[in-house]
Amino acid sequence: MAWFMGIDIGSVMSKGVVTRDGKLVAHHMLASGVNYRNVSLRLREELLADTGLGAEDITRTVTTGHAAGLIPLSNKHVADTQCCARGSNYIFPSVRMVIDVQGQSSQVIHLDERGQITGFAVSEACASGSGYFIEAIANVLQVPLEDIGSLSLYAKNPVTFTTGCAVFGESEAISRVAEGVTKEDIIAGVHKALAGKISVLIDRVGLEEPCAISGGGGLNIGLIRSIEELGIQLLIPSQPQIVNALGAALFAGEQDS
Amino acid sequence: MTKVVILNSNDDICADVIKHTGAEHRRLANTVMEEALEQAGVSFDEISYVIATGYGRITVPFADRQITELTCHARGVYHYVPSAKLAIDIGGQDAKGLKMNCGKLLDFVMSDKCAAGTGRFLELIAASLDLKLDDMGKLSLKSTSKASISSTCTVFARQEVVTRISEGVPLEDILAGIHDAIASRITRMVEKLKIEPDVVFTGGVAKNIGVIKSLETKLGFKVMVPEEPLLSGAIGAALLGKEITLKALAQGKPVQRGRRSLSESTFFQ
Repeated sequence: MAWFMGIDIGSVMSKGVVTRDGKLVAHHMLASGVNYRNVSLRLREELLADTGLGAEDITRTVTTGHAAGLIPLSNKHVADTQCCARGSNYIFPSVRMVIDVQGQSSQVIHLDERGQITGFAVSEACASGSGYFIEAIANVLQVPLEDIGSLSLYAKNPVTFTTGCAVFGESEAISRVAEGVTKEDIIAGVHKALAGKISVLIDRVGLEEPCAISGGGGLNIGLIRSIEELGIQLLIPSQPQIVNALGAALFAGEQDS
Repeated sequence: MTKVVILNSNDDICADVIKHTGAEHRRLANTVMEEALEQAGVSFDEISYVIATGYGRITVPFADRQITELTCHARGVYHYVPSAKLAIDIGGQDAKGLKMNCGKLLDFVMSDKCAAGTGRFLELIAASLDLKLDDMGKLSLKSTSKASISSTCTVFARQEVVTRISEGVPLEDILAGIHDAIASRITRMVEKLKIEPDVVFTGGVAKNIGVIKSLETKLGFKVMVPEEPLLSGAIGAALLGKEITLKALAQGKPVQRGRRSLSESTFFQ
């Protein structure tokens, strides 16, 4: 019996998945911190403990995400775009487009029925196109990140951010607070702003449906609603953060055959 | 920052005050004005003409006239360096390049969409390194091998700085990398204006010797920095006020003054 591992080192969270016979059997998540080497080794330990396996039982490990080249236990590195397409295809075989909202970037991916990429667009190297923007505003408003999505659903009058820059956006949020604008309206404004950046990416490759979301952004119901307001129905995985790690593990398995 | 400059008829500076704009001063430009009047030892009525400029120029209820910062800036730079062909101004929220000849503005470029390439970038980096903004420039001159900062985005550059620190890169090399990054960005921005000397560098960032040196390396020649690089816009405004007054007097016309109210700004004016 062959077991495979996928490790995805993200800018915020690191995720690990174990598969057997092309099926997901275990997954684990840890905060990435600054030492990617350490976090990848800890992830493996946790996954082995969860499955009761030894390191020698893992036939192959594929890594993806940040600094994947630094990770000691990798047999191969696969780009996160490919892993995202592969993982999304496993969860939703009918999906033809994925919106992947990560901590430091966003991407829109077109894929075929086998989970292979047919086109994609990635956000520029600018924090306002990524989950960071939401994190920064959550921080300014002192709202825990996990509450930010549901809180924004109570917005009555979402603010419009005049800037496309996450740094200036923070100052703008502070000014709005000083003017007495509610946290809900400010947060909903950030979700709208990020959805706007994603819509630019979608325009670049064209809209395909069915469409799924992945990455940390998939946990944020406020962001999901803002994207849906663009006229896109989203399929939401129960564990949107592990999609890329899952894709990596599936790639590890496929190489064996 | 809010700056007030009072000039006498010989163009001597009788008062200059620089204060944080902040949320309060935006409404209270009058307090900065009062401080300048006290410094100059004159009453408000003795001021022949008041020009307000900059982002907050419409929130100055005691001005006779508002003029854009580009015009005022060009005039102020001309006062310092009559031969200036290009002025580079890097403030806290934007960066501008002004192509000019004999004080006349010919063309300009501006960047205010992104914090990278503005003083804000340096402020945030200084804060994450626990450094005083004023110390960054000098410290960076000790660098022997500047660190490479590849991110344009301020947020990502800040993370890159943290990574460099954890890799053991000396602080001065990181700072040199940061100054190089901002100088590259600004040089790229002003390239559209066909750069030729003399280049005058103003704004808060012109107080940073590290950025000055990096900019000179990129341009291939020296740049000139006024003694007080924050004041060029305000001095330009004062000089334009004097010109308006003298022109009216020469034509024998009364000086057209605004409805001055030396009080705090309200939204209803």
